[in-house]
Amino acid sequence: MSTITYLLAQPGVVAVGEYAYRGDRFSYRGALSEEHARMASIMCRATTMGANMEGQMLEAFHPHNGLNPPRGWMVHGPDYTVCVIANVFCLLDNTKASINDIVRFMLQALAGIKADLI
Amino acid sequence: MSMIKRLLALDGVNVVCHFRDDGYLLEGYGLMSHDNMARLARFAHDYRRMTQGNADQLAMFTGMRGWTPPRGWIVRGATQSICGVGNLVCIMDSIGAPLNEILLELHEISHW
Amino acid sequence: MATLDELMQLPGAMAAFEFRGSGELLDHRIAYPDRINPATLDLVAHMCSANMSIATMQARGWEQVTAMKGFYPIQEFTLIGFDWSVVVSGLGRERHKQEGKFSLPPFLGVVMSNESADYEAAFAILEH
Repeated sequence: MSTITYLLAQPGVVAVGEYAYRGDRFSYRGALSEEHARMASIMCRATTMGANMEGQMLEAFHPHNGLNPPRGWMVHGPDYTVCVIANVFCLLDNTKASINDIVRFMLQALAGIKADLI
Repeated sequence: MSMIKRLLALDGVNVVCHFRDDGYLLEGYGLMSHDNMARLARFAHDYRRMTQGNADQLAMFTGMRGWTPPRGWIVRGATQSICGVGNLVCIMDSIGAPLNEILLELHEISHW
Repeated sequence: MATLDELMQLPGAMAAFEFRGSGELLDHRIAYPDRINPATLDLVAHMCSANMSIATMQARGWEQVTAMKGFYPIQEFTLIGFDWSVVVSGLGRERHKQEGKFSLPPFLGVVMSNESADYEAAFAILEH
């Protein structure tokens, strides 16, 4: 089962998508319109890029800290959470999803994705 | 003479660097070590992409034209300022440097 | 509102910290001074402050454009680093704002090792 198919089958997962680090290509599955998925991809790409830059700057001041290179990030709102690891984003319903399980799975499943292209 | 070197002739300009699309330093002039110029080029490259990403989102949310593509950015500190346009970045004095003239020059040279 | 000592009880907690909206570090606890120091925490706090602002811009824009509510106000921003994660929250500030108070409490954050990080527990402490 692919990473995206597995994630989509988990409780509370509203949508899962994948975006290219460069350019504007994206794909997604779940309860989002095409336009909203495109917007989500743009936002996720921008935040991932920012986090990566911050990681590099942190590394310059404090070499070998445990934050760089970043594997991903999360934004936790009152009802929904966006979880991004590598170039995959997952939109979660807070009342149904287990954030810990989703993060652990994504960290493991996406560990091999190279971040060179960020 | 290198095109970007002429920027150093402007009052208050201390460092100027030209970098590749991947952030690699191509040439740099001024009062800074080569290592620090390479760091500056990397920072300017990342900062440019981050600014562009944020401007893209602002344009997306507001539906306003005119934000993108951003022409450049300026971070103004107490005594030093950094300014990036295209693949160029320069460090200048915050006070006394002719900012408008520097921006025009950067904009012009970035198109060559 | 959660305290730094409560945050330090989280599994894998390496440091807990308070910071201003503009990023300056105000107070902290550090479990492993050989691995993380106040100067690094100050940079992390500034970085998290920037990320909270960007995430808030995104949440507001997204909610306006899509009419899909439930992201704003941002409760926590989490950076999942290579070995560590950092979770920060400004929820205490939001509550003060909603009550019409002008003096706002600081942001709170915790650095955890990824191996034992319990994100849900961190969110729960930061939200109680």
